[in-house]
Amino acid sequence: MKFETQIGGHAGTLSIDADRLHYQREGGDPVACEFSCEQAGEGAYTVLLNGASYQIVLLPAGEVWVNGSTFRAEVFDPRGLRGRRGPDSETGRKSIAALMPGRIVRVLVEAGQTVEAGQGLVVVEAMKMQNEMKAPRAGKVAQVKAQPGTTVAAGEVLLVLE
Amino acid sequence: MFRKVLVANRGEIAVRLIRALREAKVASVAVYSDADRLAPHVQMADEAVHLGAAPASESYLRIDKIIDAARRHSVDAIHPGYGFLSENADFADACAQAGIIFIGPTASAIRKLGSKTAARKLAIAAGAPVVPGTESGISDEHEAQRIARNIGFPVLLKASAGGGGKGMRRVDRAEDLPAARRDASSEALRAFGNGEVYIEKLIVEPRHIEIQILGDHHGNLIHLGERECSVQRRHQKVIEECPSPVMLEHPGLRAKMGEAALNIARAAGYTSAGTVEFLVDRDRNFYFLEVNTRLQVEHPVTELVTSIDLVQWQLRIAAGELLTISQQDIRWTGSAIECRVYAEDPASGFLPSPGRIEVLREPSGPGVRLDSGVFEGWNVPLEYDPLLAKLATWAPSREDSIQRMQRALGEYVVGGIRTNLSFFVDVLRDPQFRAGNLSTAFLDHFFDRVSLPPANLEQEAAVALVLALARHSHKQTPSPAKSSWLQSGRLDLLR
Repeated sequence: MKFETQIGGHAGTLSIDADRLHYQREGGDPVACEFSCEQAGEGAYTVLLNGASYQIVLLPAGEVWVNGSTFRAEVFDPRGLRGRRGPDSETGRKSIAALMPGRIVRVLVEAGQTVEAGQGLVVVEAMKMQNEMKAPRAGKVAQVKAQPGTTVAAGEVLLVLE
Repeated sequence: MFRKVLVANRGEIAVRLIRALREAKVASVAVYSDADRLAPHVQMADEAVHLGAAPASESYLRIDKIIDAARRHSVDAIHPGYGFLSENADFADACAQAGIIFIGPTASAIRKLGSKTAARKLAIAAGAPVVPGTESGISDEHEAQRIARNIGFPVLLKASAGGGGKGMRRVDRAEDLPAARRDASSEALRAFGNGEVYIEKLIVEPRHIEIQILGDHHGNLIHLGERECSVQRRHQKVIEECPSPVMLEHPGLRAKMGEAALNIARAAGYTSAGTVEFLVDRDRNFYFLEVNTRLQVEHPVTELVTSIDLVQWQLRIAAGELLTISQQDIRWTGSAIECRVYAEDPASGFLPSPGRIEVLREPSGPGVRLDSGVFEGWNVPLEYDPLLAKLATWAPSREDSIQRMQRALGEYVVGGIRTNLSFFVDVLRDPQFRAGNLSTAFLDHFFDRVSLPPANLEQEAAVALVLALARHSHKQTPSPAKSSWLQSGRLDLLR
């Protein structure tokens, strides 16, 4: 069985053949050895490689904890369909999204207003910390979605620049 | 001793207080907001009272509702913890008027010390060195500009009623002063219900070292030595330790700072536990900063090194008992370090990361103390401080204590929300941290020099293996599984 891997931002490949694995990170030395892998509770696993012990816990959102470190990690079946989407086309419109879950404290601009790069747009507060969202570039405020006093999720669009 | 005590707080400190009360055979009453019905402190307490909506201004800051709850549950005393109403003299007064003991200093001592500007005046009168600056809040813009120019930039804006970095801003240029004052004042108003802000000279790259004090109502007052809290981010402490590495090089400094702290406390008629904060410059000069008229977040490191339970003594002192420990009795044994585990994401500039904790495994073992306020499945609310837990370790030497902390951090798993656990791992292996070369600018420099540990390819292979076996048996990403999917997936592969 062959897999493509993305572990902590590094691409690689993994082959499994009976009790042996072969892992090759792009540009790294290959790891080839016998393995032992057992489930050790809900979402928890123990892996032995070359006599070394790895304690692994699967976390939500594609993250994996291993021996005290947390990685974003994914494997792909190369036979599967996984057409990667290209970068979003440049339409000139730029959505400003909340970086963290929180509550809108102040909206500093209005629709139709021209803003400079670095100008404050919206103030979001979470856990007693205020975060001022700034314009990534100069432009005109096309739309304001943020409402003072309301709660927003991370990634929710607060306003649109054009 | 008291029969029943209300804990006017939430999170890990409410849990800490309920534990102390149970050890003292005192019944506990928790209070909670809409966001905290399932919180550990509510589950642990003997009784619990709903206060109101999630925002602190409608729950944990409501003096009227808390006093009403205390009356209805016939408590003898209220422990305010830290933050919220802990340094609010009006709350202490309201307790007294209701015939309830406030576990902390007197309202008069809070007024003398709780306002940083009043505390400065008192410290000057008591002969303690202070940082140049204003002695009262500045509301007029022209006045603020004039004072800042006289002191010389960079200056520091601080909330008169505050602590913990809330309402604090560094200002490097005169033109930045108006915006910084507006932000600091609005943040202070939200956090403390008082928007007053004052101006102070910024001492460049000082150490933050504080002295723990403890006094009773019979004139006994002692200090329990220092805590070094120089490792700060946005003026928020993240790592604290006792002893300070400075004290190992300058053995006389602890006694000198302790004496200065006691003089200030004596001048204010201080009782209960409190903390006198100082800045220490490179020449080992120290300047009085402020007094925190409450139990500190970082009190466990003092407890670990002195074997004195500060909360038990707060209870006894509030009940009128005699402080039976004298200054000569205090011994500082070994070294303790504390890491504040926050719900925030080191990968995105430490932005808050509230949400549901899906996976939680906590460290334990020799020399490890965990003061936690969360559990697996708990939804960390966005309304409050991001502190999830405090992980403290003790060992005979600083080096061993750091090593023990590394070990404990390696056992700690939090999934579902982001935490700063990985950040501590990086800081604790930093050579400058290991050498004890600390200042409040430590982290600024640290972020410039920190490097990633070498890749562990075998570890990557182990991660890939588990995910691949999971992927093979289930076509979707495995959720923390109850089934034996891994086993069947593997058997499938081996066929």
